[in-house]
Amino acid sequence: MPDKQTFAEVFQSRGLSRRDFLKFCSLTSVSLGLAPSLLPKVVHAMETKPRTPVIWLHGLECTCCTESFIRSSHPIVGDMVMNMISLDYDETLCAAAGHQLEEVRRKIMKEYKGQYILAVEGNIPTKDDGVYCMIGGDSFLNVVKETAADAAAVIAWGACASFGCVQNAKPNPTGAKPVADVIKDKPIVKVPGCPPIAEVMTGVITHVHTFGKLPELDRMGRPKAFYGTRIHDKCYRRAFYDAGMFVRGFDEESTRKGWCLYKMGCKGPTTYNSCSKIQWNEGTSFPIGSGHPCIGCSEPGFWDNGPFYTRLADVSFLGTDTTADKIGMVAVGAAAAGAAAHAAVTAVKKKQHDQE
Amino acid sequence: MGRIIEEIYVWRLPVRVYHWVNALSIVALLVTGLYIAAPMINPPLGEAVWQHNFVMWRYVHYCVAFVFIGNFLYRMYYALLSDDHYAKFGGFRPWSPAWWGTPFKEQVASYLFLRKDEPNYVGHNPVAALANFIFIFCGSTFMILTGLAMYAENRPGSFLDAAFGWILPLFGGSYQLHYAHHLAAWLFPLYVIMHLYAVFRHDIVDRTSVTSSIITGFKHKVEDEATV
Repeated sequence: MPDKQTFAEVFQSRGLSRRDFLKFCSLTSVSLGLAPSLLPKVVHAMETKPRTPVIWLHGLECTCCTESFIRSSHPIVGDMVMNMISLDYDETLCAAAGHQLEEVRRKIMKEYKGQYILAVEGNIPTKDDGVYCMIGGDSFLNVVKETAADAAAVIAWGACASFGCVQNAKPNPTGAKPVADVIKDKPIVKVPGCPPIAEVMTGVITHVHTFGKLPELDRMGRPKAFYGTRIHDKCYRRAFYDAGMFVRGFDEESTRKGWCLYKMGCKGPTTYNSCSKIQWNEGTSFPIGSGHPCIGCSEPGFWDNGPFYTRLADVSFLGTDTTADKIGMVAVGAAAAGAAAHAAVTAVKKKQHDQE
Repeated sequence: MGRIIEEIYVWRLPVRVYHWVNALSIVALLVTGLYIAAPMINPPLGEAVWQHNFVMWRYVHYCVAFVFIGNFLYRMYYALLSDDHYAKFGGFRPWSPAWWGTPFKEQVASYLFLRKDEPNYVGHNPVAALANFIFIFCGSTFMILTGLAMYAENRPGSFLDAAFGWILPLFGGSYQLHYAHHLAAWLFPLYVIMHLYAVFRHDIVDRTSVTSSIITGFKHKVEDEATV
């Protein structure tokens, strides 16, 4: 494929009609939640903009983000990887390997200086000079710093790169950090989730490609379009929550009736994501839809907010099963015991004084 | 038994009203708050859409919370803009080393049974003022801010979200915010126990009628000196 090909040119070269091209553009803008008036803008971008070069780095991670990404259906990931973006470096999806691949990365960094998108999947271990994750003979820490230096923007894929996932849960033996803690001088869009929803990932890329800038972000650096509301807000089991009809055990009648999983530790009320809207695997289902409480995988520190099946998290420094309620009850009990002891001393002292 | 030699009007009506509204809302907020965290009443019969069993607990929690906030602001207003000497926190100067000096040390020593006589204050003694500051002022402020931040989560992009949503990232995330609010709620029963004990004990030891003063407004001075 020639360099700097636009999306429209790709369509033409494949013998697809302009009608197909326009259909694709309107579908993409619908999936992005754009107003119909913005369609010409999408078309214009697809016709004139060269494909955005993307360098996709894999750090300390499980590749579940990639696994999710390749299952995107709107738009189909094949279109995205082949046409919309130019995915020039990705250890998982590239045919090339070793020195060849590293050469491509350096070439892109030079030729598209300040124009390419850096996508990071996974944590960056920082302890002991980042020795716990080595890519192509160098530490991942150095690779990310080097590649980010000339990037236009950084996309942090998944819980790892956004907030830190299981790798940086306590006690975090490798000093694993999310991208934002290492790269401070670039715009970063966080796409959390373990993994993020496929359509959310492709939606973010389409937005960046279409408008040439990052989508509107919320306070936590996430795209508002996909992380604006909690799973709870659009949960189809919300009526059972409001009614006070809760599942109390997985082997109960209430489970079969599909009642609210709040008491089973569902983190839906505190988790910002689109699972209850877009759902997973082409809209087949999502965890709550399949009868499992949300584990809050797109929230910061979700591994340390566990256990997954209780409402209140453990406080690790006070023993494994210490919750806020236990701390509170012990403190209140101690206060009551203290007051009783103080009263006893007061009574004794008073008696002594009266006798004097 | 000492003879009452002086009657002092300490707690004016606005202070007494504040106290009882505050006390009742704290009890209501604690009960509803703990229930929201761990609902236990059996599920209702019938179709979910007609039932409001759980949502009512949240509704009451929110309503009382706004009464609590209004009451708190009203008390701050009264402290700042009234001429009520005993309600103005004028003597509370923890930023000044002098405040931590003799009166504070004497009161602590008295509570630790290190002195025979009991220092007598018409308003709050320095230890009580400090406890009120930590538990009631700081505790309420914390609960109000974290509570409003969580309430704002129900309406992203609303005025409340703009005003208090910035609090959420300070805690890491929504879950951590909920957790902090839940944990801090336990400050209040802790305070209530210490408060009630201190009030009853002072009433017995100093016989200043401090217990009834929050209903009548009057404290008494008795003839003989209070001693422990």
